[in-house]
Formats: sequence, structure tokens, C-alpha cells
Amino acid sequence: MAANHTSDLLQGTLDVLILKTLALEPMHGWGVALRIQQLSKEALQIGQGSLYPALHRLEYRGWIQSEWANSENNRRAKFYSLTMAGKRQLEAELENWDRMAEAIALVLGRRQAAL
Amino acid sequence: MKFREHMTRLRFFVSRRANKQLRDIDEELKFHLEEASRFYVAAGKTDRDAWRQALIDFGAATYTREETYRQRPGWLLETLLQDIRYALRGFRRGPAFSLTVIATLALAIGATTAVFSVVDRILFRSLPYADADRLVSVGLTAPIIPQEFLLGGSYFVWRDNQKPFESLTSETGVEACDLTEHNPARLSCASVEGSFLPTLGISPILGRNFLPEEDRPNGPSVALISYSLWQSHYGLDSGILNRLITIDGHSVRVIGVLPKDFEMPALEAADVVRPQALDESEQRKADPGRVMYAFARLKPGITISQAKAQLQPVFNYSLSLAPAPFRKEVHLRVRSVRDRQIEDVRLMAWVLLGSVIAVLSIACANVTSLMMARGSSRNRELAVRAALGASRVRIVRQTMTEALLLSLAGAIAGCGLAEILLQIAVAIAPAGLPFLNKAQLDARIVLFAVMTALLCGILFGLGTALQTPRASALSARSMGSASNAALRRALVVGQIAVSMLLLSASMLLLRSFWNLQRQNLGLQSSGVASVSIALGTQHYDTREKQMQFFLRSEAALRRLPGVRAVGVSDSLPPGGEHHDQIYSVIEVPGRPRPVSGTGGMVAWRWVTPEYFKALDIHILEGRNFTEQDRTSSDHLLVMSQALAARLFVNEDPIGRSIRPTPNDPFYTVIGVATDVKNAGLSGVDEPEFYRLRRDVAEDWSQDSVLTVETSLAATAITPWIRSQIAQIDGTVPVEIESMSERVNKLADRPRFETALLSFFASTGLIMALIGIYGVTSFMAARRKPEIGVRMALGANRVDILRLILREGMSLLIMGGLLGLCGSLLLTQLLKSLLFNIGPRDPVTLTCVALLLAVVVLVAILIPARKAMRVDPCEALRCE
Repeated sequence: MAANHTSDLLQGTLDVLILKTLALEPMHGWGVALRIQQLSKEALQIGQGSLYPALHRLEYRGWIQSEWANSENNRRAKFYSLTMAGKRQLEAELENWDRMAEAIALVLGRRQAAL
Repeated sequence: MKFREHMTRLRFFVSRRANKQLRDIDEELKFHLEEASRFYVAAGKTDRDAWRQALIDFGAATYTREETYRQRPGWLLETLLQDIRYALRGFRRGPAFSLTVIATLALAIGATTAVFSVVDRILFRSLPYADADRLVSVGLTAPIIPQEFLLGGSYFVWRDNQKPFESLTSETGVEACDLTEHNPARLSCASVEGSFLPTLGISPILGRNFLPEEDRPNGPSVALISYSLWQSHYGLDSGILNRLITIDGHSVRVIGVLPKDFEMPALEAADVVRPQALDESEQRKADPGRVMYAFARLKPGITISQAKAQLQPVFNYSLSLAPAPFRKEVHLRVRSVRDRQIEDVRLMAWVLLGSVIAVLSIACANVTSLMMARGSSRNRELAVRAALGASRVRIVRQTMTEALLLSLAGAIAGCGLAEILLQIAVAIAPAGLPFLNKAQLDARIVLFAVMTALLCGILFGLGTALQTPRASALSARSMGSASNAALRRALVVGQIAVSMLLLSASMLLLRSFWNLQRQNLGLQSSGVASVSIALGTQHYDTREKQMQFFLRSEAALRRLPGVRAVGVSDSLPPGGEHHDQIYSVIEVPGRPRPVSGTGGMVAWRWVTPEYFKALDIHILEGRNFTEQDRTSSDHLLVMSQALAARLFVNEDPIGRSIRPTPNDPFYTVIGVATDVKNAGLSGVDEPEFYRLRRDVAEDWSQDSVLTVETSLAATAITPWIRSQIAQIDGTVPVEIESMSERVNKLADRPRFETALLSFFASTGLIMALIGIYGVTSFMAARRKPEIGVRMALGANRVDILRLILREGMSLLIMGGLLGLCGSLLLTQLLKSLLFNIGPRDPVTLTCVALLLAVVVLVAILIPARKAMRVDPCEALRCE
């Protein structure tokens, strides 16, 4: 888990990453952190200091729900899953993300051309 | 008991839930750590290393735990409750502090709110007219009538030729009238032009306004009645429309009811409004014509000064009608209706508002200073909390919560106090202060109070919160920073200055009031009862009947035991009621008429011979009227010293003959009496003369005052007088007052003003004393270790006393000097409220300075003495 090649998360993108990860299957906090790390090819590392507050925040917003269940090692763990509202939110966030990414790319592209 | 039980249960419930939440979080985080450590074990590390690496990866576990917990939606409320609990516990520990703060705030907010409620009604209330901002009062000012007026001879020229107004209208005053029906009552009847209500933007709530033909001489007799008359006499019956009511014996048709909030623009009481029905063509020709009061609605966008300029041509026309010698004294006046209404209370209202703001600022300074003192004594506590991980925001929030709690408590107590103060003010206020009886706390003003309190709270809260808890505070060496001490000193200087200002103002008013009370009125007021009687026109429609009634009353009162003299006059000094005329029209045979100026006004009244005896007004030269004179046909006159001195310079007035006005016969001057106050207690006296009221009908009128000099107590004589008058006519309303009551009533207004301002000044002073006491004690306490060292090195107690005193004295001197400068500048504004004393009276200012110095010294001495008694051993051990 080397922290060398990690890049800082853009403000507010953590939420959409969590939602996307949970959209695949219900998962506990450790699993979410691991999955994001793997999917991003170790580029994104989520600090626990922001992961757990984010999970709880999303739960209070009603986008995800939690339940205690046994983990793969038969250990009690808190599993999070996406709610209907969460799915809608994810759609919206993804759309938003696309728009923004496009916009940013445009701006950066233009800047490169100017250089 | 029950309540407490519930609370405890609730608290357990809440905390159990909170605890469960935390336990869940703990378990979740623990699971994460375990998984991470398994991950490392799988990667080939030993158990111990894996666990260690997992912990390192995880970072600050407590932070994550708390941050996660903070996501709870109820978290803010929860910490707020926690802060409040903590603050309340703190207040309970130091009740003196919290009570002082709450009491200071309550007093300041209470006083401010109460005064604001009163002042608001006077200065800022909305007038019950449409677009009241555009309504103005227009007219000429001249010595003869105190308010702006117009005369029938020129009013119609103004109305037809004016440019700046949408419309110009007039009223011809309010007179007493009698409702002579089954339920008779004395009313006030106003006479207005047909265009009066439309110009003011008033429409009757029932019925209609006057028609043009009703505002003509001999037109149909119609009236609008006030809402209160409709309510009290006709039970709000809408059948009142087109009913005939009898006023002064004449049938008048009611064509409408005025709105509930209707008032005449000059604030006279009016129960009935009738068309003035002036004969326009006759008025145009008349010289000078009826006195009228004109009101107008400005065209949109025209200012008062523009209107004034545009009125010049018509003003010049009016001027050309005035007698040449008087022209210089006639001026044009246009002012807003509001200004006309509040002209004589405006200054007092501003003074009150100013003084209450001064008190509020002293209070705020006090509370800020108290909070800062508390803050610096809590420095250690805050530092400990910061060291234990409390964030800056959390500490600021905590101190803010405390400050806001205190100010909220202050605001609530203040509103209660305001209600009480307002009741007291209304109870002791003199009659004739407009709107005071209607003053009440309304939502706006309560909001103002709460906003003030919150603002204070934020201010104090910031004051405390900005004191950064530093690690050095943990070592207990430093107590409070130097900049805070400087700020607190500045606050004290300000407080002393403002108190000095308030004290000077109230002392000036006090001394002016003292002068007012002690002045020589020129008449005796003790042992004299005044009996005022106003006869109705229905039963007493001729002067003969009126004279008969008063002569019989005079005789009846003379027969009462203990009565030494009974005078009958048509008015009484020292209030302003009397006849007035222009000085320059008095004609003395063989003397040319004065060519310029009116010469001011001359007062006069009708009196019977015993008037002088009853009021103990001395005759200096010549003789008094006698009983025989009453039956003679001679016209006799007694004049005041002031008039004699002016009219007959170096001549003997006795036996001279004068004609007061061109319409009068010649009167013979038979005596000169001492001057009597005749323009209220503080007004400028007018020269005066007395006409003998003979037993001839033409000398009498509807209203008279009988002055009864008696050796009996007022309570004993009053019922006798009543029964005597009732025997002559039981239906006549009689008002009996002792002369001293009458005089006292005139002093009501200055007494009220003085009492209010003194209240504010003493409140301000007490608060400033608390402030300076607090600061000096604080400084002394802060220097305790230093004092210990000094004493150990050989300083004696006097040195220590001097040390502390010097600090206090410098504040006192700075504050005092500032206050003195302020007083010299600002008391100028009080000038018109003061009687026989200058606004910069040196004696008063010196007294105030001395008083302030003495009380402040006492406030400094107490902590200084305490510092003097410091035990050096103990002080050093502290170090």
C-alpha cells in the first residue's frame, strides 16, 4: 500500500466513488477502500479519516443503507448497500461528472493549444 | 420531581443511543483494522508488524471516530445542548457574574425598549392619512397666533393661485358644542372646508363626505361623527346615517362616520366634523376675515422648500393686506404635518432617545468588560480544553453560546422591565404629551430589543473568543493579555465620559426644575381653591343668564364658613389662558400711534374686585376695584407693573385714560398691581391688565373661574362648594382644584422630563461605577504577585495604595475631561428646555465633576485597600 503514486481526490468525488463501488454489490468499509484502490490501479488511496465519515454521511442522507452481517471470514461487519435514492443520485452524479470532465478537458485542451 | 425524573430518563435514553452509535463506530473501525492487518499477514508480514502497519495506515483513529460520529444529523443540536448545559453549570458556579450581566442588560434593554416605545409613537409613527409625507401645514406666522394661520381675506386667493399643491384646504378650528339629546354630552365640533377630508386622503367608513352645496352659508346642516361618538352614543348602529341629531339646539343630519383612527392634523379632539360654510365672497372682501388653518397636499416631487419659493407671490399678496407696521413680523411657514404635531415634544423625544442610547452603550461596555475579565480568568481552562483537543471553532462556539444565553436572558428580563417602566411612565406622565397613553410594546420594538441583545451577545462573545488560548496560559504565569487591559481601560474612560454627559444633562434639568418651582409667581397658591365652570349654551344662551348664574354662585360661596374672599374672573394665571391683544393698538389720548411693529402681545382678563384679594396680588399704586365700582357705569382698569412701566415711562399712570383696542371704550387706570406669571411657569411673561367685571351682562361670558380664598382644608371645602353650586343648578359641570394643584400641574411636564433623565443618569452612573470597580479590582488582582514582590522589597502600604490609585485616577481624569468636553458641546441642545440656567452653567458642571470624582474614587478605593492588605508571603507563594 505505497502512498507514492496516489493523487488527491477532487472535492466531492469521494461520494460518487463510494456510490459507484456499492452499486456493484453490498460491501463493508474495508472492501470499499480496497476496491477503489484496486480499480484505480493503486492510484487512488482513500484515507480512513474521510472514508468512514463519508459512509455515515451518505447513510444519513438515505443514499446507502447498512446492516450488520457476517463477513467472508465469519466476522461481524457492517455492510453497506445502495438504496433506490442512492441509485438515482449515482446517475445524477455520473452525468454531472461527464459534463464536468468534458468541460475541464476542453479548458485544458485549449490551454495546451495556446501554449 | 416528576419533571426531573423524565428529564433524567430522557437524558439516559439519548446518551445510550449516542453510546450505542459510538460502539458501532468502534466496532466498524476495529473490523477495518483487523482486515488491514490480515491483508499484511497475507502479504507475508508477521502478526505484530502487520498490526503495526495497519495502525500506521489508519492514522489518527480518534479523529476518524469523532469525525464519523459528527456526521449524525443531530450532532449540532447535541453539542449545542452540551454547550448550554456547560454554560448553565458555569453560571451556577458564579451567580454573581451572571446576575450582574443579566441585570445590566435587562436594565439597559428595558429602558431602551420602554423609551423607544414612547419615542416611536411621537417621532416615527405613521400618520393616519394617505401619503402623509406629502401633507403640509401652510400659513403665516405672526406674534398674535402661535401656529401658522391664514385669514379669510387672503385664503381664497392662496387657494386659487397657488402652484405647488395638488390641493389646499382649511379648517376654522374646534369649538366646544353640546349634544342636546336624550343623552346629552359636551363634545368638540370641528369646522372644516368641504375639500378637507379628500385632501388628507380620508374617506368615511360609513356614508359620504360633504357635498359642495353643504359647505355654503345657509346650506343643509350636516355633520360627520367620529367613530368613538358612534360607538358611545349610537351603539355602532348603521341606522345613524341620515338621522337628525341635535347639536346646540339645532338639528343636524349625520351623513357619515369617520374612520376609527381619524384625527385632526393639529391633533385637536373632534367628535363632530361640520362644514365651515364660509361665505366666500364676503370673506374675500373682509379685513382681516376669519382665522383659518390651512393644510395642503404637495404635488409629487415638490419639496417643502420648493413649495415655499413658489408661494412667494401669494405670500406677498397677504403681506400687502397686513397693516404696514406689522409686516416685518409676518413670515411664511410651510412644514410637514408631522412637524406641526410634534413641535414641542420633538426635542425632548430626541434627548430621551439620546440618553437611553448612552445608557445602553454604558451597559454594553460594562458587559463586554465583565465578559473579558471572565474570559481572561478562564484562560487556563480554555488552554486546557484546547490542549485536550478542542478545536478553535468549538471553543468559540462555546463562548458564543454563553454570551448569547446571557443576552437572551437579559432581553427577556428587559422586555418585562420595559413593560413595567412603560406602565410607570404612562402613569406619571402629564396630560398633553401626545400619544404617550397609546404607547405600548409592539412586536417591532420587542424585536429591536432582542436584536440589540443578540448584537451585544455577539460582541461580547467575540471579545472573549478572540482571546486565543495559548499554551503559555497553562503555566498560569500570565493572566490576560496587555491589549485586553488597554481595551478595558478605554471602555472605562468611555463610560466615565458618557456618565458625565448624562449627569450634566440631568443636573441641568434638575436645577432648571428647581428654579421653576422656587420662582415667585406673584400670587398666593396655598389656601385658594379654583372653581371652573363652563355653562352650556342651551340653558344659558344669553349673557344675562350667564351673569346671573355666576353672581348667584359668588354670593353663595361667600356665605360658606371659612371663606375670606371670592373672586370671579374669566381665566386664571399662571397658565397661558387669557385674552391677548397687540400692544401697539393701545391708545393713549394725546399720543401718536407707534409707526412700526406690533410691540408684542398684552394679556388681559375680566376680574371682580376680590380677585386680587383672593390671589393676594398686591396693588402697588392707586387702588383696587371696589364693590361700588361694580354697579357704576365707569370703565375701570388695573394694570400690571410691567405694562405701566412700558406705557407710562416716568409718568403717573393713575387716573390716565386708555383705550385697549379701537373697538373698546376708554378705560380709566385706577391702580397698578404687581406682575404675575401669565405664560406658564417657564414662558416669557406678557404685560397684563385687568378690566373690572361689572354687574352688566356685556362683561360676562359662558366660562368663568371662581377663586375662593379659605382657611379650610381643600378636602373640607370642596364638597361644600359643590353642594352650593348644585343648589343653583345641578346640571352644570364643576371642576374644583386647589390653586397649588393647578400650579403643580403646569410643572408636570418639566418634572416628568427631569425625572426620566435623572433616572437614566443615575442608572448610567451606577453602571459606570460597577465598570470602574470591576476594572480596578481586576487590575489589582492581576498585580498581586507584583505587589507581593514590592512589599517584600520594602514598599509600605501607602506606596501600594498609591500605585493602584494612580491607575484608577488616570482613567477618571481622562474620562472626566472627555465628558466635560462632550457636555460643553452637547448640553447646548437642551437650551430650550432649561429655565433660568445656562446650558454651560459652570456651577452645575463643577458639581457634576466633583460628584463623579467622589463616587469613582470610592469605587477605586475599595479594591485599592484590598490590594494594600495583600500578604506578601501569600502573594509570592502564588508566584
